[in-house]
Amino acid sequence: MGCDWANEMIGMAPAAAQAASPKIAVQHLEFAYPGARGGTIMALAGLNLAVPDGQFCCIVGPSGCGKSTLLRLLAGLEQPTRGNIAVRHDNPALPVNSMVFQGDSTFPWLTVRENVAYGLAQRHVPAALRVARVATFLDMVGLRSFSDAYPGQLSGGMRQRVSLARALANDPEILLMDEPFASLDEQNRLLLQLELLRIWETERKTVVFVTHSIDEALLLGDRVLLMSARPGRLLLDELVAFPRPRDPYTLKREAAFGDMAYRIWELLRREVNRARDIEMQGVA
Amino acid sequence: MRNRLLSFLSPVALLVAWEALVRLKILDIRFFAAPSQVLGRLVAMAASGMLMDDVSISLQRIFLGFLLGALPAIALGMLMGLSSPVRALLAPIAAAIYPIPKIAILPMIIILFGLGETSKILTVALSVFFLVLLNTAAGVLAIDPKYFDIARNNGASRWQIYWTVAFPAALPSIMTGCQLGMGFALTVIVGTEFLGADRGIGYRIWTSYQVYDIETTYAGLVVTAVIGWLLTILLQEIEHWIIPWRAAGQVRTSSVHTSSQEQSSMKRYAGIWLKAVRPFSFTASVIPVVLGGAAAAYYGFFNPWLFLLTLVGSVAIHAGTNLANDYYDHMKGADGPDSLGPSKVIQQGELSPRAVLGGAILAFALGAAIGLYLVSVAGSFIFWLGVFSILAGFFYTASPAALAYIGLGEITVFIFMGPVIVLGTYYVQAQQVSWPVVLLSLPIGFLVAAILHANNLRDIEGDRAIGKRTLASILGRHSAVIEYAILLGGCYLFLALIIALGIAPLWTIIAFLTLPTAISLARRAASTVDTKILNGVLRRTAQLHTNFGLLMIAGFVIGLFVK
Ligand SMILES: Nc1ncnc2c1ncn2[C@@H]1O[C@H](COP(=O)(O)OP(=O)(O)OP(=O)(O)O)[C@@H](O)[C@H]1O
Ligand SMILES: [Mg+2]
Repeated sequence: MGCDWANEMIGMAPAAAQAASPKIAVQHLEFAYPGARGGTIMALAGLNLAVPDGQFCCIVGPSGCGKSTLLRLLAGLEQPTRGNIAVRHDNPALPVNSMVFQGDSTFPWLTVRENVAYGLAQRHVPAALRVARVATFLDMVGLRSFSDAYPGQLSGGMRQRVSLARALANDPEILLMDEPFASLDEQNRLLLQLELLRIWETERKTVVFVTHSIDEALLLGDRVLLMSARPGRLLLDELVAFPRPRDPYTLKREAAFGDMAYRIWELLRREVNRARDIEMQGVA
Repeated sequence: MRNRLLSFLSPVALLVAWEALVRLKILDIRFFAAPSQVLGRLVAMAASGMLMDDVSISLQRIFLGFLLGALPAIALGMLMGLSSPVRALLAPIAAAIYPIPKIAILPMIIILFGLGETSKILTVALSVFFLVLLNTAAGVLAIDPKYFDIARNNGASRWQIYWTVAFPAALPSIMTGCQLGMGFALTVIVGTEFLGADRGIGYRIWTSYQVYDIETTYAGLVVTAVIGWLLTILLQEIEHWIIPWRAAGQVRTSSVHTSSQEQSSMKRYAGIWLKAVRPFSFTASVIPVVLGGAAAAYYGFFNPWLFLLTLVGSVAIHAGTNLANDYYDHMKGADGPDSLGPSKVIQQGELSPRAVLGGAILAFALGAAIGLYLVSVAGSFIFWLGVFSILAGFFYTASPAALAYIGLGEITVFIFMGPVIVLGTYYVQAQQVSWPVVLLSLPIGFLVAAILHANNLRDIEGDRAIGKRTLASILGRHSAVIEYAILLGGCYLFLALIIALGIAPLWTIIAFLTLPTAISLARRAASTVDTKILNGVLRRTAQLHTNFGLLMIAGFVIGLFVK
């Protein structure tokens, strides 16, 4: 594989040894935001996590529990308050991670095409390659005919698809996706879920995928993590063993799927209630 | 929609009132130059090259000063927004100097740099600098930090983040700063030129005031206003060009064109407008203007430049009237999609009513500007003629009186598309009223009334149904047909009369060549109720007007050379 060749070139450990070390290793992670009146808000406390190379890892948890914070830490946009994060960068020719940010994250001053090409342009990818990749992913998200439109001319769901195309066009080693399908309509969500599965099954990138939908986590993931109410820790960590390639409709009819979804929902519901209590206290 | 018309009419009304007050000697001419005199002075200043000289030197100072102030301000403002130490360092100084009126610094600048160009440019630069600086810094500070995160996550370096995020995101406020700064620059340069200059628009205003040359002072004010207005438009255009996403975001539904599509649609658009102004109807105004010019030449007065202006001005007003007519008929519901007369651009959805009204306003504005100039050359008579024509045009279809809707259409058209235009054109050339000229304008007055009457004859049923009271729909078909014949007959009767009286050269007798056509048209109109055939009668009546007019003009021209 290309990766091994690149690793040997830069004198790193052989592939066999690497398989043992996870792609992402998080130990005793703590993160606090500066809060009101000089205090702090603990977003994450004592979080441990190891994600092996090529795993599709889904995270669910109540709103405000620190999922986005975790992704920002993994992306290197924030530094841990305590503990440490190790992310292995295998191929220096590729970016180590690309994030699909929560909510609208297109640049209003760039056209759809320029938005998708943004990461490639910053890394000075040759123009011909850039054009080809942008075209591929614009086709994938169904926005080819809007190449020259500005985000202001698109709907919220369309803008979300632009962000998605940009992250995929970067071809990163790790995809960090923060509720990437949240603002999409049902049909586009299904199409893009299948498209993401297809890409992942051929390229086996490491994916950390935050979602509020348990069904989505079980459909896409190799593994599902449930985070507790703030400060976020891991409450549940299970492998999702359904065979691939997966089809959403047949999968949902299986008893094992329903059982697992129900079990996670029970836990999640408790945490959501707890999170509400915590936020209420915060207000009082 | 109504507001737009009002906001066009109010300055026009002010100008007209002003002109009228000066001409009636209610306003003292020593203090209030009439608009037409100001325009006349402007043209004279333009012709002597003085205007170009003043404007170009002032613009040069504005542009140099603007660039000298704005470019460093943008660079420094970016730094201020991005780096808090730089902000801490500069913000207090900027805040302290910003409120000082920059013109007050001029004496210090003059002490340092003398009275030359440098100090003027520096004063402008200084006034632009702080506005752009503070706006730029504020713009950078207001950027949503998520954009910096996105850029970092996509591998942008520090430098790339400045260029791809900070700068474009701050551009709207930078442009706001530039627009404010440009306004300041104009104010400051005029003030600076008051004080120590030997050229420039401010200098012109000041020196003319000192010698009580009040017309030049006003002319300078007008030029300053126009420059300010043009600079604003220029900056808005630049803004559209460098901040395309702003304009794009405002129109969510606008589809994405390729440039070739845009070009062909531009062509199509021009075609639609050509159709909307109904150029084939222009003969109704071109013929009397040319006739008036020919008559003037025949009587020994001819200034080709003034004649050309008269021609262009009257065509502009005619085009404006056509557009305004379409607009008001549409608003009143007189023209359905299958009505035969008007251009149908509104009914068929090719132009919005709003666009048609805008076009009318533009055409009227051109006509009014030319009219104002002609007033400055030819004097009060043309002014009052123009005022009555405008009123007639306005009341022709526009509410509330709507002459065309109460059976006065023919008489209005007869007066204004006949004697008034011919005499007006003649007056611009000769600067005197002449009753023979009124007489010689009557034949084509009859014919133009006949055109309208043929139109109303054709639409008699439709107009009755919607309660549009034309002469035809009031008289009924039988009497209307007789009236049509009378109008045609009157034309030839008066032609004979003016030839007999020696008002027109004998050569104009060739216009009688069209008599057989006229007779057959009168018969035809009497013998049918078929709308299609009556439509043909209408078209051929218009043709008759053109041919008759051309022959009469030819008669005058021949008479001019073969005495
Ligand atoms: N910029 C910030 N400043 C201060 N506190 C913050 C900031 N961002 C987040 N927080 C706090 O950190 C906690 C975790 O936020 P985070 O955005 O990670 O939640 P989340 O799990 O992604 O929630 P959601 O599902 O609603 O997106 C929140 O409760 C919030 O109070
Ligand atoms: Mg979040």
